[in-house]
Amino acid sequence: MNQLSMTVAGATALALINGAVQAQSLEAESGESVYFRGWQYKTDIVQDNVDRYNDEQSGKVDYATVTGDYPALMEQNLIAGAELDVLYANPSQAGRYFDGGWIMPAEELDNIDAIKADMYPNILEAWTYKGKLLGLSYFVSTRGVMHVNLKKYNELGYTDADFPKDWDALYDQLYEMRDKGLEQPFLPHWLSEWYGISWAFDFEVMNRGGEIADGETHVPLLTTDADGPAYKTLEDWKRVWNDGLVPEEVLTYNESSYIDAYASGRYVFSPQQLYDLETFNREDRSQIAGHASLLPYQGQSWGLLDSAVYLMTSRERADAHTEDVKRFSNWYGYQNHESEVFVGNRWMQESMLFSGYKSVMESDAAAERMKSALAREEDIPVVLEVYANTPYPKGIWSVVWAEEFNSWLKETLQDFLQDDGDIVETIEAINEQITDLNAKYNL
Amino acid sequence: MKATSRTAELSNLQFSLLLALPVLVFLLLVVAYPLGYALWMSFHEIVFFGGYKATFVGFDNFVDVLTDKKFQKSLWITIRFTVESVMLAMVIGLLLALVLNRPMRFGGLVRTLVILPWCVSLYGTGVMFSYLAKGQTGIGTALAFAFGINDDVNFVNRDWVIEVLAIGNAWNMAPLVAFFLLANLKTIPRRLYDLAAIDRMSHVEVFRNVTLPPLRFTLFVFTCITTVLSMKLFDFIFVLSGGGPGTASATLTYRIYKESFKDLDLGYGAAMSFMLLALILGSTFLLYFLWGRREASTP
Repeated sequence: MNQLSMTVAGATALALINGAVQAQSLEAESGESVYFRGWQYKTDIVQDNVDRYNDEQSGKVDYATVTGDYPALMEQNLIAGAELDVLYANPSQAGRYFDGGWIMPAEELDNIDAIKADMYPNILEAWTYKGKLLGLSYFVSTRGVMHVNLKKYNELGYTDADFPKDWDALYDQLYEMRDKGLEQPFLPHWLSEWYGISWAFDFEVMNRGGEIADGETHVPLLTTDADGPAYKTLEDWKRVWNDGLVPEEVLTYNESSYIDAYASGRYVFSPQQLYDLETFNREDRSQIAGHASLLPYQGQSWGLLDSAVYLMTSRERADAHTEDVKRFSNWYGYQNHESEVFVGNRWMQESMLFSGYKSVMESDAAAERMKSALAREEDIPVVLEVYANTPYPKGIWSVVWAEEFNSWLKETLQDFLQDDGDIVETIEAINEQITDLNAKYNL
Repeated sequence: MKATSRTAELSNLQFSLLLALPVLVFLLLVVAYPLGYALWMSFHEIVFFGGYKATFVGFDNFVDVLTDKKFQKSLWITIRFTVESVMLAMVIGLLLALVLNRPMRFGGLVRTLVILPWCVSLYGTGVMFSYLAKGQTGIGTALAFAFGINDDVNFVNRDWVIEVLAIGNAWNMAPLVAFFLLANLKTIPRRLYDLAAIDRMSHVEVFRNVTLPPLRFTLFVFTCITTVLSMKLFDFIFVLSGGGPGTASATLTYRIYKESFKDLDLGYGAAMSFMLLALILGSTFLLYFLWGRREASTP
């Protein structure tokens, strides 16, 4: 046997041993139930994944969805030490749960180095809080990417060359459209969900080059000068609201109403979830199928980095039970017993949900999936470039008060629009709220 | 003559207390303990982060609540919502009772249909009225389209959301009111209506002089009940409007939920809940003072 064949044989043996070890290590052993909870999104697929784990790895995973005010409900469950082992969370919730001492960071997993090595650095940074990676990848996306209904856009006499390059240009074009006879060309991201209007403000300020709070100290950074990002954002919001360029009803929409409204084809532009390009290009779901595209990156970002992770709780359990929780998290949130990112790949194929893992995103299957989900092949590099330039609001999300600020901001901004509020006073109130929250948590 | 042993027998009061003992213990556990705990929390600042900590702050939470502009706004929203709900529920309930009291074919079926809204959960009522009132799926838009108007008609807005909530709440409560009033109506002797006919009373006079008097006490009781139910309503409001748009329908119950469970400010939320309790007690005492006393003294 020569050196090469010995090396190959050795590597093969190592791989087999490694695989065998991993296969053994992902099998449930304690006989205890692992309680897995998440929000409502394609629950049939989640249940199917869980069933597969239970069948193949002798698991006893109990999956259920939580309806209603998800962050608050999960927080109450965590405080109460309820039967909850693995859960969905956004990074803004994860940090708070960690500070509450209710979750066990992903750092506790034996293969954490391999997991980190497979993650994109910017995603790893977004999900790392106080030096610890909190959870494993559920999905990564850009929320607030500017979708364009090409059908209506072209009917109004515009082409790709006219695509607005930033928010200022977009608002100008909305008024041009109104002059051409389209009364409401824009569906803003002002929906009633907890991630609605508040996130719309967050991403528009960031897209315009601003920061709401400092990423490290969390000190408020908004300014009240008329050229500042926050001022211009609120000024434009007020203008389009008062001039009736947006539907008033958007303030009451939930996620599905919001998607349905844009899928109806009534609007030209709308900041939507990146992966919903797939939804809007599906004929059984949308009246703009084959015409749903997005604004490219032309020096200004669009939207913000929206992501979710699978967290493990730190509730009192027997050690063997905790090991089962880790095994299931590993199987579900990273690689299965065959060293495949099974769930991550499935989400990519089913819904074009992006993953935090390079092994999912850089696969041929992912490229093919994106191609089939988009209206035009040339949109693929556009999607990737927009995604690559998406900002993450670390100053207001990687902090214990993230959810409190978010719910306060939602009310404040909706009232600002409806009460025709003062721009400077609103910005000052936002800064003051952040200062108060920092004081409340001794930051 | 045989001597009787008095000590072996329980007095009526003792016997009734003995019978009530399980209920009293149960009430102590499910009412007194949470109420006492809430009272304790209202005098503390409770922090969950960086280790659980409860610091005594005296009346600070109560003072903060009273000077909080959001509380004042929610107080006004609660009063407006309650007044509208109660008026609608009582009027609709009374009308339903009067209709159901008339002889009709399939009376049993009609009565069954009328009671159904009361059987629907408040969550379900919220979902249904949300669809009915919002522009995207609502009845207003359907009617507008029927008349050739291609515009959404949305009632879940700042100006109308309280009325939408009040209508939904009344839709849920009115059948209960109707059935109690109907039971009352059935006790009115038929001959009183015959005498009224002999006296050639108009329909309004018959209603005022024959039908209404025996209903007045029931109306008072149900005004109190619907007032309390409306003031403490949460799930229906949460599902239908989530306190919005903005804070347009943020009643006190919604505000308490937000302070307690979103902001995790349990002490402040508890203090606010005692304000709500005071409002409920104050309202029912006021109703009794203005109306109930008279009804109670009427033979």
